[in-house]
Amino acid sequence: MSQQVWKLVIVAEEILSKKLIKLIKEAGATGYTVMAAGGEGNRNVRSTEEPSVSHTLSNIKIEVLTGTRELADRITHHIETKYYADYSIITYISQVEALRDHKF
Amino acid sequence: MISPFFIKIKPVSEFITLLIKQLQSPTLGFLIGGIVVASFGSQLAIPDSIYKFITFFLLLKIGLSGGIAIRNSNFSEIFLPALAAVALGILIVLISRYTLAKLPGIKVPDAVATGGLFGAVSGSTLAAVLPQLDSAKVPYEAWTAALYPFMDIPALVTAIVVASLYISKRSGHASDTVEIWPIVKDSLQSSAVTALLLGVALGIATKPEPVYESFFNPLFRGFLSILMIIMGMEAAQRMNELRKVAQWFAIYAFIAPILHGFLAFGLGLLIHRITGFSIGGAVVLAVIAASSSDISEPPTLRAGIPSANPSAYIGASTAIGTPVAIAICIPLFIGIAEMMLGR
Repeated sequence: MSQQVWKLVIVAEEILSKKLIKLIKEAGATGYTVMAAGGEGNRNVRSTEEPSVSHTLSNIKIEVLTGTRELADRITHHIETKYYADYSIITYISQVEALRDHKF
Repeated sequence: MISPFFIKIKPVSEFITLLIKQLQSPTLGFLIGGIVVASFGSQLAIPDSIYKFITFFLLLKIGLSGGIAIRNSNFSEIFLPALAAVALGILIVLISRYTLAKLPGIKVPDAVATGGLFGAVSGSTLAAVLPQLDSAKVPYEAWTAALYPFMDIPALVTAIVVASLYISKRSGHASDTVEIWPIVKDSLQSSAVTALLLGVALGIATKPEPVYESFFNPLFRGFLSILMIIMGMEAAQRMNELRKVAQWFAIYAFIAPILHGFLAFGLGLLIHRITGFSIGGAVVLAVIAASSSDISEPPTLRAGIPSANPSAYIGASTAIGTPVAIAICIPLFIGIAEMMLGR
């Protein structure tokens, strides 16, 4: 009663959230999950620490489950060409088991 | 007999007395309090949602009083100050393009983005100057708060256009065009401008005096003091961001608010001569020119000039620009206004 799917994780600047979600949906994904994120990378500490006057320095994490590796790769490719150069953003893919069958 | 020397020196000493009086304002005290607790690494955290609610409340209240004032005023009075606000928004960005951007080790997009943020307006600084003018009993037209978007939007559009032209020229893609409407829309949809304009519209359309007098007015100063603590804490935290970029940004952030304030005050006084615009109104114009956006515009700039380093412009604006505007420019211009009014 389970299915092998691909989990694409995107950790990015919060101001990109609307654009990334649009891109994910246009690529053909059926859904996504967004949450607030914080941490440290090569562009220094970016956290959800409060108070935060502008959200320019906060991060989000988006998870997308895709039925095929090809779809996950396509989303990653679009993100790479559009945003890698100028924004704090990382993406990674892993294979996971979705417990609700036929959803993806 | 009074010696000529005494006559010469008296206004200066009076001015210093007035300035010290202004410096003892609670607004400034709360701001410094926020800086101090954050610098000592306090665990104090004010939730983001409180901050958002307070700025919304303050700007809605300022908008309401502006709207009520516009309802009772003549539209022709507003025209010249609004024009001055537009000119200042554009001019401030051009100043950064031809000063900060020319300094050694400064990238042009970083400098122009910083100019854009300093040309844009800070809701918290605007909220801070109005009660201080009231306390000093310097009269001003309440609609001057509505000048906010007239300065904010031209500054952002100019910054994004100037930076984009520079970047496309450097990369050789001269055909790149900058779409202006999305920048204007972004700014109009930003939380600060939305709250302010909503207040103005409700002030004009609905006669909100009862709710204004019983709710918005009494709570204004209390919420403002909480906001000042948050701004102080934010300034101390952003200091770390600023340390990572060239020191010129810190120097610019200190000088620019004062210079922009004097430019705007001069224009305000010129309009005072022409149309009878109040000296208090010129102070409001000067302070919004001295202020740098810290609430709503950094995301617009981040999206509009993606290659600019946010540590530079947000650090400069929040860590130094806003404290200078609130702590130095507000007392300075109110002090000058009081002198001019002969107190």
